[in-house]
Amino acid sequence: MIAIGLWLLATMDASFAGYREAAGRNALIDKRRYYLRAMIRGAVLGQVAVVIAALVILSLLLITGNPQSLIWDLEKAGSRMLVVYVPFAMMILLAFCVRSIPSVDIRSITSTLIFGPFTLIRPVLAVIGLVYGVLAAPRIATVVLALIVMTMMLSLEKALSLFRA
Amino acid sequence: MQSPPPNSFGWCNRVLFRLLSIPKEGPEISDRIVAVDTNTLARQPVRKREVVGEFRSLNNLAAATIVEKLPAGNDGSLDPDAIDRLLVTVHCEMQRISEEFQHGRRVAELLNPILQGLRDSKVDGPLRVVDIGCGTGFVVRWLTAHEALGGDVELIGADYHPALIDEARRLAEAENLSCRFEVANAFRLEQPATVYMSTGILHHFRGRELIDLFAQHNRPGTCAFMHFDFHQSALAPFGSWLFHAARMREPLAKHDGVLSAVRAYESEDLLLAARTGAPNFVSAVYGTKLWGLPIPRAFHSLVGILPEYRDAFIANLGNKKDALGVVE
Repeated sequence: MIAIGLWLLATMDASFAGYREAAGRNALIDKRRYYLRAMIRGAVLGQVAVVIAALVILSLLLITGNPQSLIWDLEKAGSRMLVVYVPFAMMILLAFCVRSIPSVDIRSITSTLIFGPFTLIRPVLAVIGLVYGVLAAPRIATVVLALIVMTMMLSLEKALSLFRA
Repeated sequence: MQSPPPNSFGWCNRVLFRLLSIPKEGPEISDRIVAVDTNTLARQPVRKREVVGEFRSLNNLAAATIVEKLPAGNDGSLDPDAIDRLLVTVHCEMQRISEEFQHGRRVAELLNPILQGLRDSKVDGPLRVVDIGCGTGFVVRWLTAHEALGGDVELIGADYHPALIDEARRLAEAENLSCRFEVANAFRLEQPATVYMSTGILHHFRGRELIDLFAQHNRPGTCAFMHFDFHQSALAPFGSWLFHAARMREPLAKHDGVLSAVRAYESEDLLLAARTGAPNFVSAVYGTKLWGLPIPRAFHSLVGILPEYRDAFIANLGNKKDALGVVE
């Protein structure tokens, strides 16, 4: 369940990264298909990141002397990460619900209070979640995995830009 | 006529201005890297060294650094093609923020009661709406694409900058939009506007220039105007900084966007300028407070209308009339 939860969050985060990377580059009025494609691109690249993380976990399990202990530690770390990331994601989803109300003022407020500030704090929150997770099971394997995941989370938008170029 | 300087907001704001490197005064970079003869609209060369020197003398080192990185020719003039490409990119990024803040819909919500008021008062059509300094024409294209104003409305965007107008035309053509874009002084178009509108241009006109801008609205056939700009408040520069940090990529866009909020006029200053420059119109500020509460908004609008159409306009505002100040 923990792994599925983290995968869902990673996929959602990656698709939003795709949206952000595409935003401000196309000045047409109707951009629904453009943004849909951008979000799919982001989600697909997110899956690549997930596969890389899975391969790293597999490698760590192969080289560790006690795979079961590592699995438990990873579960502990993962559940703690969910404690940080799930409320953040819920706030975003709630803001989308509010934004569905067809009011200029209400929609603007969701940007002012949620979407804008949350975009800025996302990298900080990504780091906090990983650090909080690692602190539940501090060992070299979890630190290595956290560093790799953090690098991928924080460079996803940049990577999408590189593919665009 | 000048907005209160940021340092009147107190020491806390001063510290934040410094921490966030928010510029304290104008001009904006985009005001200086393009020069146009206002009579012939011919492009004038811009000496890079002079612009950099001006920003250095104003102690705006961020702006000086941004200009220093812009390409220039052998004669020291900024490369006009590179500047054009940069400005088109910046306008594309600005459109993203306009979209996020629902600016097209916001304009329609205020423009429709004005136009309906004119129709109710039997003003002869077509009702011509001209967007002053339209850039790449987001508002005009949005209103056209969403058929937001009715079939008797002719939408025209005017801007001094040919590259921006070319881009506006290209985008309109790509979506089969029937709006028109002209490289022109909006006040010198062959046929005058029934309604003049703009977004984010008022703060570029300082002091007497603002009164002169409003004076140009006094034309036969012009019944109303509405100009959107940043709403000046103690929080505006920080809110603007946050959004430009989160949303913009180009350093010029980040710099000028934040400075725009710093330079935005107080409602009272706008009203004074409008009533001085365009005394034939009654005017008010729309949307300074949110839901009647003292919550600052990102944008507000200065609305002016000929007195004979005032009542019809207000009647068509419906429940939004609470957001309108006293029209006098």
